[in-house]
Amino acid sequence: MTIGPGWRRLFRLRGARRWIARDVDDELAFHMSMREEKLRSQGLSPDDARTSARTRFGDPLRIRDECVAIDSRYAQEMRLMEWLTSVGADLRYALRTLRRTPAFTAVVVLTLALGIGATSAIFTLVNGILLRPLPYPQPDRLVRLIQSYPERGLTGWGVSPQNIALYRDRGTDFEAFSAYRDGGMTLSDASGAQRLTVARVTADFFRVMGVSPVIGRPFTRAEDTPETHDVAVISHALWESHFGSDPGIVGRTIDLDGQPVRVLGVMPAGFGFPSPEIKAWMAMGLDPNRRFGWINVGVGRLRPGVSVAHAERQTTAIMWDWARGEAEASGTVGVDPSRTHMKTIVTPLHEAITGRTSRPLKTLLGAVFLILLIATANVATLLSSRAAAREREISVRAALGASRSRVVRQLITESVTLGLIGGLLGTLLAFLLVRTLTHSTAISLPRLGEVAVDTRVLGVTLVLSLVSGVVFGLLPAVHATRTRLAAALSSGQRGSGHQFVRRANSSLVVAQLALAIVLLVSAGLMLESFRKLMSVDLGFRTDDLTTISLRLSPRINSAGALNAFVQTALAEVRAVPGVRSAALGWTVPFEGNANVDGYLIDGRATPSTGNEDQIAQIGVSPGYFSSLGIPLLYGRDFLASDDTTGLPVALVDELLAKRYWKGTEAIGKRIRVGGDTTWFTIVGVVGNVRDLDAASPPGPHLYNSLPQVGGNPLSLVIKTPSDPRGTIASVRRAIASIDPSIPLDDLRSVSSFIDRSLDTRRLTETLLAAFAVLAVVLAAVGVYGVMALSVANRYREFGIRLAVGAAPNALVRLVLGEGARLALIGVAIGVAGGLVAMRYIASQLYQVSATDPLIYAVLSLLLVAIALGACYLPARRAAASDPLLALRGE
Amino acid sequence: MAISRVDLLQGTLDVLILKALSWGPQHGHAVARLIHASTDGAFDVLDGSLYAALHRMEKRGWVDAEWALSDKGKRAKFYRLTTPGRAQLRAESATWKQYASAVSKLLNATTQPV
Repeated sequence: MTIGPGWRRLFRLRGARRWIARDVDDELAFHMSMREEKLRSQGLSPDDARTSARTRFGDPLRIRDECVAIDSRYAQEMRLMEWLTSVGADLRYALRTLRRTPAFTAVVVLTLALGIGATSAIFTLVNGILLRPLPYPQPDRLVRLIQSYPERGLTGWGVSPQNIALYRDRGTDFEAFSAYRDGGMTLSDASGAQRLTVARVTADFFRVMGVSPVIGRPFTRAEDTPETHDVAVISHALWESHFGSDPGIVGRTIDLDGQPVRVLGVMPAGFGFPSPEIKAWMAMGLDPNRRFGWINVGVGRLRPGVSVAHAERQTTAIMWDWARGEAEASGTVGVDPSRTHMKTIVTPLHEAITGRTSRPLKTLLGAVFLILLIATANVATLLSSRAAAREREISVRAALGASRSRVVRQLITESVTLGLIGGLLGTLLAFLLVRTLTHSTAISLPRLGEVAVDTRVLGVTLVLSLVSGVVFGLLPAVHATRTRLAAALSSGQRGSGHQFVRRANSSLVVAQLALAIVLLVSAGLMLESFRKLMSVDLGFRTDDLTTISLRLSPRINSAGALNAFVQTALAEVRAVPGVRSAALGWTVPFEGNANVDGYLIDGRATPSTGNEDQIAQIGVSPGYFSSLGIPLLYGRDFLASDDTTGLPVALVDELLAKRYWKGTEAIGKRIRVGGDTTWFTIVGVVGNVRDLDAASPPGPHLYNSLPQVGGNPLSLVIKTPSDPRGTIASVRRAIASIDPSIPLDDLRSVSSFIDRSLDTRRLTETLLAAFAVLAVVLAAVGVYGVMALSVANRYREFGIRLAVGAAPNALVRLVLGEGARLALIGVAIGVAGGLVAMRYIASQLYQVSATDPLIYAVLSLLLVAIALGACYLPARRAAASDPLLALRGE
Repeated sequence: MAISRVDLLQGTLDVLILKALSWGPQHGHAVARLIHASTDGAFDVLDGSLYAALHRMEKRGWVDAEWALSDKGKRAKFYRLTTPGRAQLRAESATWKQYASAVSKLLNATTQPV
């Protein structure tokens, strides 16, 4: 007589070792007892029988353990198989169900894809720029060093060759120390002249970065001296594009700015420090005795175990020593270490490169996370509404014997499947978005070239998909467990389950609206801030201005020839039809090539620090100010006569003039720049310009006449009509007619310089605006969904109301009223939350208050209006209920 | 002829057990008795090895196990041959017979083969 299959199943399910061991023990005990009985019947005593039975068995304990082990493994395998089979069944069922309602599935998957995709894309940016370490060996030991002297207004100040040598030799905290600066040089060969970005570096640069050329070798200190420094290492990109990846490039001489430079090696592909555009690293020609030229940036590799703070203290002490030496040499009072704020600023290199993007990127990450929450809430609403409709199906399954946990598992499988499909699509979307961002030339985020979707991002995406799948599946699953069998099976009855679903859905919609308002407000504030920045009066006009960089041959750059060149060139260019005005200068605003130095005023006692303050010195030609639209306030512009034969003259801006004199008193006073002994007489005062950052206040400027101060390269700035291409071609020809050897490069519109400086902001506010729009759309869909479901469930109620004489409009107002209530609550919560959240982005806003009531009010009204609009259709449907249908029931 | 305890190869024990079960479900003790009886006591398997083999065969799907009451009324674990088990028995039997006949042929040869 056998006991039913249930026992067998029980045995298999109850795979716990305890049960298995008990079974094995029972089996072996049975055998032993049978054996003993047999032996006893053959005449042995009970004790002998037992001993004999045991002997015949072998080693009972070992056998028992072996059997238990075999059975346990067997039970484990069975469990796994069963589990896999049931999960497989769940999965197949889930896919079938999803396929049956393609529209619904599509909407859900799309919503998830948008939310997860956007989050992945932004996280890719954050990962590539902020989280990933720099691609150099032991990157956490790399630091950047600059100098600071706040008393003289120098907050971020480069290092001079003398500084570099001192830090290198005396900085024991560094394993290696180097410095760099970048600039443009012209590579000339048979195929023509090409402008390159070249970095001037000291010989230790390669040791600091820990990267050596793939072919050839770096240059040594012996090759980096003031007398001989005609060596360089080129970039991989240049080697491929210009030299056809020819290994023979090593040892070959190339022409840079007219000088022969020997190529010693080629750097590995992808090496792009300090910037990816660098095409060659040339020896600086470090002169330890040269005190001037604080235009280099120090970069060093710390010894293991040395902290950044310690290195900063050590280099500051070295800096004070140097300053003391300087003071003694020039007879001025030295620096008092106990009271000065002069110091070095040593920053980890990663932070130096990416620091300024940290806040904007984190803001974006926060915003996109809100989107994800909204999308998840949306999907939860959709799923739970559908679950309410599937009540019958679920009840039938429960009646047929499915346990509650099984049903819940089925529903969760469905939602996780949706999550995974949405996540897959989202990953594709993220790929596309990242590709667009990294290939766009309009964005200049640091390390953008290193940004790519990697395993960490994929892992995060997977986790997001699974987690969101579980989260939004919980609501319908919980609802399913509360379904009462009988009530659901009999139609026409709407139990408490529905009420729960409705309330849950309403809460979700309110949450969505709140989140949407937060996003809207932050986008609105950013946009407003950006708009204000764009409309800041920079002090000059940028419309229709193009600038071309001219590199003059040494022949022209000599004193007398320069004046002649300036006059001729301007005359020729101005004669070109279409050129409304033209001028030459060292730089245009925002290009960043002004000479920054200290200055002294004649007649004022020399301050103890040796200089009054910092000033930006720019050499210009006559007509510079009118071309750029900088107003001339007093005095006169430069003339052709302001050349090497005339009195050294200068123009200053209003900022400087107001500091020392009143009104026109500035005219006739004299000013001198540190490092130069010439006194310039001020002949005019012009308006202020902001030429570095639209958000910062302007600094003082000193303008000199080109022939009197020289200058190379020069920027030719021309004002042309809207489409400058034809005119530019004529201008090129005009210049070529004067001196054909001048390469005309870097053709850029002046406004593009300014745009570049606002790049990060522009990216942030564009993306935020896009997210805000997305959030509003999702929230509106959510409102519509909830309202539509509510109306559908209450058609009986509406039908009865109509039957007893309510006007259809009253029903419309009823529904709209409910929608308005939801919207107002959501918006109110959102505004409250927003006021808290905005404090975080307040630091990125320009002249816009984080609690600007106008923006909050306008956007709140907008969202409420949109929400009401989403309610409109369901409201109409409510009014169109057929009373007869409703009264008939069902 | 009594061959003293011979160490049997694992496969041999398996095929003996399968054959023993081919006459109907048995519990482990009965299988031991059957083997002993059918081979006239020539093969004296250690009981423990038998049980280990039975458990292994259950895992491999050749036999199914079920708790039931023995003819004496005690609760015992009965083993039953499954379809794959039957197939295995057939295959193993065929192999054995081939092996046996090949060996016999050689041993019965009167003249040296060319």
